[in-house]
Amino acid sequence: MTQPADRRPDRTPSSRRTAPTLPVCLLIAAAAAAAAAAALAPEKARAWVGAAAAGGWILLAVAVLVGLATANRLRARVADAEAELLDVRGQLDTRTAEDMGLAQVTLPGVVRLVREGGAPDDVLRQTRPPALPSQRELLRVCVSALADAEQRAATAVASGRRAADDLARSTDDVRLLATATLPDVVATLRGGASVDRALAGTHWPDDPALRALTETAIRELALSERRAAAAQAASAKALSRVQAKSVSMLADLRDMQDRHGEEVFGDLLRLDHSTSQLGLMTDRLALLMGGRSSRAWNKPIVMESILRGAVGRIAAYQRVRLHCSTRVAVVGFAAEGVMHLLAELADNAANFSPPTDEVHVYVEESRTGIVVTIEDSGLRMSEAAQRRAEESVSGRMTDLALLQGTRLGLAVVGGLAVKYGINVSFRPSARGGTGVVVLLPPQLIAQQPQPERAPAVDAGAPAAAGSGAGGVPTPRSAPESPAEPSAAPRTAPADAGLGGAPGERAETAEHTAVRERAADGADEYGRASGHGTDGRGGTYGGGGPEGTDGRGGTYGRSGPDGTSGPDGGGGPDGGGGTDGRGVPLGGLPMRRPGRTMAAAHAELQQRQAANSAARDAARSGPDTTPGGRGTPGTPDPHPGARRTDTGAPDPAPGTDPAGAQRPPRDLGARFGAFHRARRAAGESEPHRLAGDSESPRAAGASEPPPAVRASEPPQATRESEPPRAE
Amino acid sequence: MRRPVDVGDPDRLYTVTGGRSRSDGSSFDLVTLIVAECEPAVGQQSEHRRILELCRHPTAVVELAAELSLPITVVRILLEDLLATGRITPRHPRVAAAAALPDSALLTEVLHGLRNL
Repeated sequence: MTQPADRRPDRTPSSRRTAPTLPVCLLIAAAAAAAAAAALAPEKARAWVGAAAAGGWILLAVAVLVGLATANRLRARVADAEAELLDVRGQLDTRTAEDMGLAQVTLPGVVRLVREGGAPDDVLRQTRPPALPSQRELLRVCVSALADAEQRAATAVASGRRAADDLARSTDDVRLLATATLPDVVATLRGGASVDRALAGTHWPDDPALRALTETAIRELALSERRAAAAQAASAKALSRVQAKSVSMLADLRDMQDRHGEEVFGDLLRLDHSTSQLGLMTDRLALLMGGRSSRAWNKPIVMESILRGAVGRIAAYQRVRLHCSTRVAVVGFAAEGVMHLLAELADNAANFSPPTDEVHVYVEESRTGIVVTIEDSGLRMSEAAQRRAEESVSGRMTDLALLQGTRLGLAVVGGLAVKYGINVSFRPSARGGTGVVVLLPPQLIAQQPQPERAPAVDAGAPAAAGSGAGGVPTPRSAPESPAEPSAAPRTAPADAGLGGAPGERAETAEHTAVRERAADGADEYGRASGHGTDGRGGTYGGGGPEGTDGRGGTYGRSGPDGTSGPDGGGGPDGGGGTDGRGVPLGGLPMRRPGRTMAAAHAELQQRQAANSAARDAARSGPDTTPGGRGTPGTPDPHPGARRTDTGAPDPAPGTDPAGAQRPPRDLGARFGAFHRARRAAGESEPHRLAGDSESPRAAGASEPPPAVRASEPPQATRESEPPRAE
Repeated sequence: MRRPVDVGDPDRLYTVTGGRSRSDGSSFDLVTLIVAECEPAVGQQSEHRRILELCRHPTAVVELAAELSLPITVVRILLEDLLATGRITPRHPRVAAAAALPDSALLTEVLHGLRNL
């Protein structure tokens, strides 16, 4: 009954109000009831009933009083509890307010102060301390922890910034290294500088580790660069020796082919072919290694020879069919390169076509140069292969590192093509295989024979050019070749007498070679185009003096050329202090390639002597004109040649009309054969003709006498006789 | 190192003969006279053209060899080519012509005379 009263304190006043009235009413009602009972009871029992009722009433009153006391006591306890509850509530509110103040005001303030960098004690001093000790403790802990954390954060930020700075610096270093330092160093080293120079010029990074790394890298790079260069130079050097050897072997083989008979000829040719192939391989490697070709030509080479020289170097040369009707020539400095290029391409074509099929090489002249087409009927190149080949021959792959194992040839082709401005392209061939089109630009083509004579004149005597041109135009314009040789001898003595001789004789072998080549060209050209016929009018006049030069062997060839004009003009000029080539006779001796200085000196003296003799002859009298050819011969060391030359016209008008028909060059040729046969017979020869009379090939190295002709000297002698007797 | 400059011709002899090293017949003696039957034509091998030019008048094989600066064997092969196509005619020296020759003593004398010049 107390518990609900506790829980319902609002009811207590009403229960408190009712408490005294209800027991009093109860006691009154009980007393009334007892009185009633005692009254009603019989008389006899009334005493007893009255006593019992009084006793009962007393008991009831006691119980009611006890109950009342207990209720009062309980009521007081409830009031106490309520008061206590109120007190606790008040305390709770205060505490809550304090907490709120701490959380919303104090702590943020503290945090702000700590963030601003205050020391924990200062902060605590500046802050209003909370009322409660526990809160004060809490605040202290918070502040110290905060300060600690703040400090740690500051440290972390600082170190993070430092790390970022470091990172940025090293990034800069690395970037510098990659974009500036290393490329510079590589360029310097590629340029051939030493390590120390490269290191001195290096822009060093700041980082010592990077510095060490850079230095190591540069040193290693320099080392490998030097190693590569040394290897390349060594192999180029070694290859140049092999090249020299193979060239001399080829020359020896050619000599042997002349000297030995038919029984070993095939073997010699085979050796020759093998050596030529060897030469191609060596040249290929040498060019890749930055070396040079094994040979160099000092004269234009006609296209036919270029093609033959090219296919002669490949294994399957017999499968290559040449279709060349042009007479153009490739200038000397480029001839070897062009030959090598064509050889590589022909080799390629032959290797990539069935061994039974032929490879066709066509040459045509066009406005843009010479077009050489090499067509095979092998497998058609795939597009990728064609692209690779084009790339190889484009010359962009000059670095040895880019070479693929089997594409050395095309790489060499690329190098040569770039060097000489040759255009090489691949296309499918109509024959089913691949066609390679090589375009030789016009600057690689030797001038056509007609303009080509101009250099000869220049080389001769610039002053003589006019007179030479004056001397050339013989009024007779011979139509075409066949009738001409027979007509020529008639003009020969006259022209020869005009004094072409002194200048002629002064020629060196080399000059002769050039002229002879020009002559060949001129001959062809004249024949093909109908030009130069006037030059041929003077031709045999020029040919005569050339015979006095001892050029018996080549006499006939150089006879029908147009170059006699300038030389004939050079003759009179010779009296003026220059010889036919414009070399001042009083000057220093001029050495020609392949000759020694001593030889040049001797030649100069000889020329001077000849010149003075010619002047003497000119002074001695004009009536010596027919003998004019004889007179300059006095210092001439080739009596035999002069003999034939002067002897040639003798039978011509006199004894034998058939002989008269014969152009004098045949006589010279005959004498060449005769003379060689005589030499082959082993007779001592006071004046060698080899230097002048042989083909240009022999000019460099004295040619041993051919044994084929040596085997029958009497026959050779005889064969030189019968036609004269006929 | 200065290289000697090449002054010869780049063609090797096997390219001139097309790889043949032996003339099969004996139709050409050293002194066989060769006469051209036609004019050199464009497109022929240059040696053939030269031979045809030289042989407008009868010319001996050995003279052709000397003229072309080629070994006799090569000239024979070239001549066989020409003969096979009918462009030349060989003329063998007659015995009678040989009989008309001056004797060797005279020739030796001429030789000596030439040498003494």
